[in-house]
Amino acid sequence: MAQLITSADPMPAARGEAPALLRLYLAHERAILGTLMVILFLLAWEGLERGWWAQALRPFLGAAAERWQLKPIFVSSPTLVAASAFRMYFVTGEIWRDLGWSGLGYVLGLTAAIAVGTPLGLTAGWYRRFSYAVEPLLTALNATPQVAFLPLIVIWVGTGLGTRVLIIFLLAVLPIAINAHAAVRTTDARLIKVASSFGAGDWRLFRTIILPSSLPFLLAGLRLAVGRGMIGVVVGEIYGSAAGVGAMISQAGARFQTDKVFVGVLTIVAAGVILVEIVRRIERRVEAWRPPA
Amino acid sequence: MTIPATLEYAGGPTRSLPARLYLAHERLLIGAGTLVVLLLLWEALGRSALVDPLFISSPTQIAQAGWQLGRERDFWTDVRISGAEFLLGYGAAAALAVPLGLAVGLCKRLQYMLGPFVDTLNAVPRVTLLPLIVIWFGIGLWSKVAVVFLGAVIPILINTQSGVKTSEARFIRVAKSFCASRRKVFSSIVLPGTVPFIFTGLKYGAGRALLGVVVGELYASTAGLGHLIADAGNTFQTDVVFLGVFIFMAAGLIVVALLDACERRFEKWRPALH
Repeated sequence: MAQLITSADPMPAARGEAPALLRLYLAHERAILGTLMVILFLLAWEGLERGWWAQALRPFLGAAAERWQLKPIFVSSPTLVAASAFRMYFVTGEIWRDLGWSGLGYVLGLTAAIAVGTPLGLTAGWYRRFSYAVEPLLTALNATPQVAFLPLIVIWVGTGLGTRVLIIFLLAVLPIAINAHAAVRTTDARLIKVASSFGAGDWRLFRTIILPSSLPFLLAGLRLAVGRGMIGVVVGEIYGSAAGVGAMISQAGARFQTDKVFVGVLTIVAAGVILVEIVRRIERRVEAWRPPA
Repeated sequence: MTIPATLEYAGGPTRSLPARLYLAHERLLIGAGTLVVLLLLWEALGRSALVDPLFISSPTQIAQAGWQLGRERDFWTDVRISGAEFLLGYGAAAALAVPLGLAVGLCKRLQYMLGPFVDTLNAVPRVTLLPLIVIWFGIGLWSKVAVVFLGAVIPILINTQSGVKTSEARFIRVAKSFCASRRKVFSSIVLPGTVPFIFTGLKYGAGRALLGVVVGELYASTAGLGHLIADAGNTFQTDVVFLGVFIFMAAGLIVVALLDACERRFEKWRPALH
């Protein structure tokens, strides 16, 4: 595709004699255009709340221009959100308690999902008959929006920590199990054949061939699970919880504290990005020994 | 894995007819068998005094609840409303995300401009935005349509875009050396190559859309299947909750099966590789 674009671009011919400024722009086009759009977006947003656009449009639209100014409870604004974030993180520090509470549920749920999903998937991948037994269940569960189980979970374990751990577990376990299953299935059959003709037992096969070749899949599953778990944190807390970032978002929403909602959303974004990046790092690290294909 | 299979095969020809029948349909038989055993266990557990039926209900109770609900008009209203939320939100997401994904994949500058927004939205579980969406759209149908739309639009967009990006550069070079126009290159190379990616995105998006329906209705709603589940949960009607979960399960399976069928239809022209 790159071909199609560059040759349709009139620039290349002129690039040699382009002025320095243009060359600078072309070298950093991606960063410049991206930043520009983000700044424009933030300005448009700020303007909606402060009434810049209403003022600018008044000469043309008259009284109808008032529609271009929105109440802070409706959209908040970047500066309000930033101020609110500063207050919540560094002045009152109220968000740290929520973060700790959410983090606890998340870690427990994800750990349980890894502890159950990996062996389940690996076993299903290795034993054909076992896979026949569990595959329909996994497929059905995977097609279900797992959050629909939430009211059931609340009946079973109440609205405390248990509910959140269970819903996070339920959301995260499927990608892990399914990837582990696929990982064993795609192990190079020749390697297994060679090893077993030299008398390697099941355990040996597993440890020296299956596990190393499954690792990328397992980590990819973990990466998916990390994101799914985030959904679990939010939904579990929105539905019935007194503390945690999701509960904070939901309560702030109910009180029309839009700036606090945005702070919560951004906190979740940051947590998600950081966690996924950590898994990516691990993936790269684990893959370092592999000779390039 | 391969060793037991070959050992088994050595005795193949001398096996009796039932054994051979079993082996030919082993996958189906074991799968169905497990399901039946699980359902029976569940039923037994529900009928025994070991576990409070309030907790786990039982398959027959759920079936009864289904039979009763099926005759109530409210239930069908719930189904219709959830269906409308799904179709409107998902339809809008597909209608916007596929063309936009193609455009973003084709035009580098557009990608630079939209990239930060798409990446950020992709990093948020979109259900987090629910409280905001409720402030903006109220608790009626449209807040759910918005959440479904937001859930589905990102995976479709990202997959379509990466489909365009991975089109075979050699094909494009060949076509261009034979003076194919941009439109021709697009319609005969880029678009067909992108179809599998679009369908992957649509399947992901369908899952996210269903999630949106459920969470949106659990959070704030006046009708719909999620509302039904939440209501039943609050009044400890475990059988109705299970019924709702199974309906969502069926919906998920059906949507994925439909998309698979569509994909096969669009991919029929492709020569088999193996």
